[in-house]
Amino acid sequence: MSSVEAGQVRVYAQYDADLTLETDVVVVGSGPTGSVVAKELTDAGKSVVLVEEGPPFVPDEYEFDGGLSMARTMREGGLRTTSGTIMPTMQAIALGGGSLVNSAICTRAPAFVLDRWCGDFELERTTRADLDPHYEAVAKFLGIAVTPENVLGRRNLLFREGCDALGFHSEPIYRNVRGCRGSGECFTGCRSRAKQSMDISYIPAALRGGARLLTSVRIERVLSEGWRATGVAGRVVKPFTGNPSHHVRIHAKLVVLAAGCTATPVLLQKSGNLANRSGQVGENLQFHPGVAIMGIFPDLVNPRFGATQGYQSRHFLREGFKLETLWAPPAITAVRLPGSGMALKNRLSDIPYSAIWDGIASCNRSLGRVRVRRRSMDPILSWKLHPADVPVLAQALWVLAQIFFAAGARTIVPGVHGIAPELHSLEEAEVLRDRPIRATDLVLAGNHVFCTTRMHGDARLGVVDEMGRCHDFENLYIADTGIFPQCPAVNPMWTAMALAHRSAQQIAQQI
Amino acid sequence: MLTAILCVLALGYVITRVAIGYPDPRRHYRRLGRGEVALISSAAEAMYPAGGPIPASGLDADLPDYIERLMTASGLQTRMLLHLLFFLVEHGTLVFPTSGRGGMRRFSAQDIEHRVAALDGWAESTLFTRRLVFTSLRAVLTMGYFAHPPVVRRLGLAPLAIEAPICEADLLYPRIGEKPESIRWTAEDLTPPSAGIPLPQDGTLHPGFAEAES
Ligand SMILES: Cc1cc2nc3c(=O)[nH]c(=O)nc-3n(C[C@H](O)[C@H](O)[C@H](O)COP(=O)(O)OP(=O)(O)OC[C@H]3O[C@@H](n4cnc5c(N)ncnc54)[C@H](O)[C@@H]3O)c2cc1C
Ligand code: SF4
Repeated sequence: MSSVEAGQVRVYAQYDADLTLETDVVVVGSGPTGSVVAKELTDAGKSVVLVEEGPPFVPDEYEFDGGLSMARTMREGGLRTTSGTIMPTMQAIALGGGSLVNSAICTRAPAFVLDRWCGDFELERTTRADLDPHYEAVAKFLGIAVTPENVLGRRNLLFREGCDALGFHSEPIYRNVRGCRGSGECFTGCRSRAKQSMDISYIPAALRGGARLLTSVRIERVLSEGWRATGVAGRVVKPFTGNPSHHVRIHAKLVVLAAGCTATPVLLQKSGNLANRSGQVGENLQFHPGVAIMGIFPDLVNPRFGATQGYQSRHFLREGFKLETLWAPPAITAVRLPGSGMALKNRLSDIPYSAIWDGIASCNRSLGRVRVRRRSMDPILSWKLHPADVPVLAQALWVLAQIFFAAGARTIVPGVHGIAPELHSLEEAEVLRDRPIRATDLVLAGNHVFCTTRMHGDARLGVVDEMGRCHDFENLYIADTGIFPQCPAVNPMWTAMALAHRSAQQIAQQI
Repeated sequence: MLTAILCVLALGYVITRVAIGYPDPRRHYRRLGRGEVALISSAAEAMYPAGGPIPASGLDADLPDYIERLMTASGLQTRMLLHLLFFLVEHGTLVFPTSGRGGMRRFSAQDIEHRVAALDGWAESTLFTRRLVFTSLRAVLTMGYFAHPPVVRRLGLAPLAIEAPICEADLLYPRIGEKPESIRWTAEDLTPPSAGIPLPQDGTLHPGFAEAES
């Protein structure tokens, strides 16, 4: 079946000398965006080198244990946080980028968000109607489809029951999954090979088209002459330790940076502050900060079973938040529970009766920046939750509490400092609505990251145009979620891939 | 002269309190100092005492061993953060002592009641940073506790055995650190993709979590 030739894929154990390659296009980063670009360009007959710093993971190597899994698949061992408002944020380092560890949620950006992007950022061709053909193309290739009822499991169905009882619109989630078995293991890697992460979908297709793949290579510099990019340079790095060895240099007619929203600005800044006449590289950092509540039900939920994130509600999108069901490795779930000693053990024994649901917020006012760390390619992320966004997150918590009690929960664990660790009725939960909550009272997490190389129709205000091409460099493109001008209000992967699909079409014409 | 003697005595006292007098660990650890091993074990015992709905204790779960493995799998920066975390918890009790006799000792030298009180103090502190230290410690210990198969088995959360289909990607990538020649599959080994049959809830556990393994 596979027509991939020996030598097309390189892994760490194969590098034994410095390496220089020539190609039409070099793509840095094999996450959802880089992989789409690589496959579309090989389909268009271009020669492509796809470079990824992380290694490929095969199912034998997935770790069930949340801590070990993060140590191996996430940057900074999964302990990366923002400063300012302290919030953990995870970025993968693996073939396939975030798609290896994410929950495969695919949601199109709402039309009202894209209209706002067009209006506020002087974009002409980024409405929903403009992007729909690109969403479709990605969906067709990945088999994006609604999560089937028989793998939802009780923790997803309870969410539906709660929403139905309250008249909130909810729906099973569309995901890039074929043949889900409901193992709830998306975060540590899909052993059923059902999740269509890039390493098993777009990247093999790009390889079949003739692309070359270099894994365990960290690009450290974009090479340029005048206003033209001429390639990239970096080092072979040892998996997990990052220790550098051989030098790698790739000369290309065109460079695409898809290293992720926190890595691409570092790469540009380390390359002599490239493509930054606007001064916007690394600025405008945005997240979808998330909060979650665990609910305990009177009878068994068996949360181990069910699609990791199978149900959502977009009912409150215009109020600034989206609600979803959630599951993570048991240890990570348990980390949410308050207390210590026997009280903590008693709470742990409730996990089989529990479900966790989260809310992610569109915090357009909460901004930060990516700065360069000396002698490292890891970024310094500073970000501050804007006081006006705190009530949006508090409102999400209050709505989640209502859904839990409407679904029959006997107790909820809100995880908010200063509020009782357990609330046993809707009346008790009203404290979430009535008590002023501060940013530091919340347990936040933000894995959707945007805007650090934002698109803008005005070259003075953005790094790239709406096709992803740098305003300053006609043969340097950026494809990752950094190009979003604002957070998209829903999970970003599908939109990022649709934009990457569109960029690839333009690039194919350009060279 | 007297001041100098008093300074030396005070310094000696501080050193004894802070840095020496730790018991020998059961085995050699590459990543953890003996003080850290003592801290992790004593925190594990306070965080996850024996008995209750999950019989296994934090001590049974051998958390120093888990944290050693976690550190080995982690980069330098993560390891430094973990060392800092352990230092802060171990010596934080000298800055934020718990009430009663013995509450001013380093964490691992305290009796269990004081350790539990110290943890509660960190958890409920009005200082965000102190709460953050507690949350981080609990996160690391909890991950280790849940890596102990009897714990997840008891909660019905142990992973099930799943036979991964062999797909095109399995022909492309070797295991990490190995060369492509080590790939054991060929095109003949490809299997049909997942048919989406829900996992049976009473299915066999993954071998690493089955009774005999633990
Ligand atoms: C736990 C988790 C769950 C998520 N769940 C969902 C979800 O269900 N749905 C959804 O829409 N979104 C989800 N997201 C977000 C989504 O995964 C990301 O938005 C998406 O992966 C972004 O794609 P990207 O291509 O921009 O960047 P990434 O996926 O981050 O890929 C960038 C790649 O570039 C590589 N790289 C970085 N620097 C270099 C360098 N210097 N040299 C070479 N390679 C480099 C990285 O190792 C990485 O593989 C989740 C994220 C996380 C962390
Ligand atoms: S829930 Fe399980 S089977 Fe379904 S996509 Fe996620 S990991 Fe794969």
